[in-house]
Amino acid sequence: MVAVLEVRDIWKAYDTLEVLKGISFDVQKGEVKVIFGPSGSGKSTLLRVINMLTPPDKGEVFLCGQSLMDSKADLCKLRTRIGFVFQNFNLFAHLKAIDNVSIGPRLVLGMTKEEANDAAHRALEKVHMSNWSHHYPAQLSGGQQQRVGIARSIAMNPEVILFDEPTSALDPELIGEVLQVMLDLAQEGTTMVVVTHEMGFARAVSSEMIFMDKGVVVEKGTPQHFFQDAQSERAKHFLRKLEVLYGQSETEKT
Amino acid sequence: MVGIGEYYPDLVSGFSMTMGLYLFALFLGLGLGIVLAISRHYGGPIVTRISTGFIEIMRGTPLLAQILLITILPYALSIPAEYTSWQIIVPDIYGIERVVLNTRILLCALALGLNSAAYQAEYFRGALSSLSAGQTLAAQSIGMTKRQEIRYIALPQSLRRAIPAWSNEAVYLPIYTSVAYIVGVPEFLSAATLVVARTYEALLVYFITAVIFLVLVSFITLLLNRIYERIRIPGV
Repeated sequence: MVAVLEVRDIWKAYDTLEVLKGISFDVQKGEVKVIFGPSGSGKSTLLRVINMLTPPDKGEVFLCGQSLMDSKADLCKLRTRIGFVFQNFNLFAHLKAIDNVSIGPRLVLGMTKEEANDAAHRALEKVHMSNWSHHYPAQLSGGQQQRVGIARSIAMNPEVILFDEPTSALDPELIGEVLQVMLDLAQEGTTMVVVTHEMGFARAVSSEMIFMDKGVVVEKGTPQHFFQDAQSERAKHFLRKLEVLYGQSETEKT
Repeated sequence: MVGIGEYYPDLVSGFSMTMGLYLFALFLGLGLGIVLAISRHYGGPIVTRISTGFIEIMRGTPLLAQILLITILPYALSIPAEYTSWQIIVPDIYGIERVVLNTRILLCALALGLNSAAYQAEYFRGALSSLSAGQTLAAQSIGMTKRQEIRYIALPQSLRRAIPAWSNEAVYLPIYTSVAYIVGVPEFLSAATLVVARTYEALLVYFITAVIFLVLVSFITLLLNRIYERIRIPGV
């Protein structure tokens, strides 16, 4: 079966600063990939390259076998099949939650207003935000905004959803509600690529973890692999730092 | 001494002319200003340069010079008089026949509109650049085209945001239209000057003129505040 995403030898530099130096990996249907690593390692850039929000200097990305770099490909069409959840939510400030979610199905997928609203209601229900559908983003907490952000991508019914540090901008007590939604999605078999430092989430649902540092993939493996016998010094060092930050429980549970 | 009472019709039709110039220039400036702002903000190198050039020239030269230049164009280009000598005459509320539109008035209104467009464009461009880049990325990520993103995400927010600053232009413009007096458009100030010439009541007439402008501007301010409160984005 053809992979949902194939990322092939991605290179990206900003002026002289090389951010990505030959990244490759595949994502199969139903997989949850967790990408982690120190800040500045190129994780966010990598996610943006995947749906061409940032075009790479070199390399190629395939969605279900179709290249996103093909000049004949309709990039907007392909992007509708790749969801994206942002660190800072990036909800449309002038639209109510329900309209934030329905605008994609209506304008981009060409649904009628009623169909789009139905799709939006279903998506909001999934993220437990039905009761807030008529609130504007500025009237919602960070966790609620992020859940609307997730609803906005799932309403498009994408093949894969990319999460760019979805909980990093949240107060600690709000992280849980967002992670719960993401766990639910993962358990339903949603294909996901998640940049996160939430090791509890990674342990619970990730099929493979990718450790990045300085623009390269340093180590790949299952959560068990990383938490029991990470090979590279850099990965071990980084995981130890996370432990200090978030408490030991994450690694001791194994 | 002649009372100013019998000149009310002149003042009323002068005021109507001012309002006509104002509304025409404001809405021409609004439409063109949005187009200029979008093309300066989103355009490629050529389009951006064209709109930047237009904006900077209109903002960088005196309005009076622009009006003089535009209103003499028909003569400078030796356009035959049969194309320029038309006029529309309508009786005013007192039954007196008034020229409401001719080539000069039209060109003058056009000049005011083009000038206003340059200023309005900058208000809108300011609001466009104040939007977070994140929303643009979000719009792209759900597959919106650039056009859809501008139409449904950037414009609805930036037009709302621009209102407080834009209200500057909306209250300046009726006052600026009095420059049309210099090229002989029978607007409010020229009507007032006419009344002064006939009655010698300069202080009184100009005082009334000033008060009427003040009332007009206050009304516009109030109206725009109302509109802004009504359509502003809750919580922002």
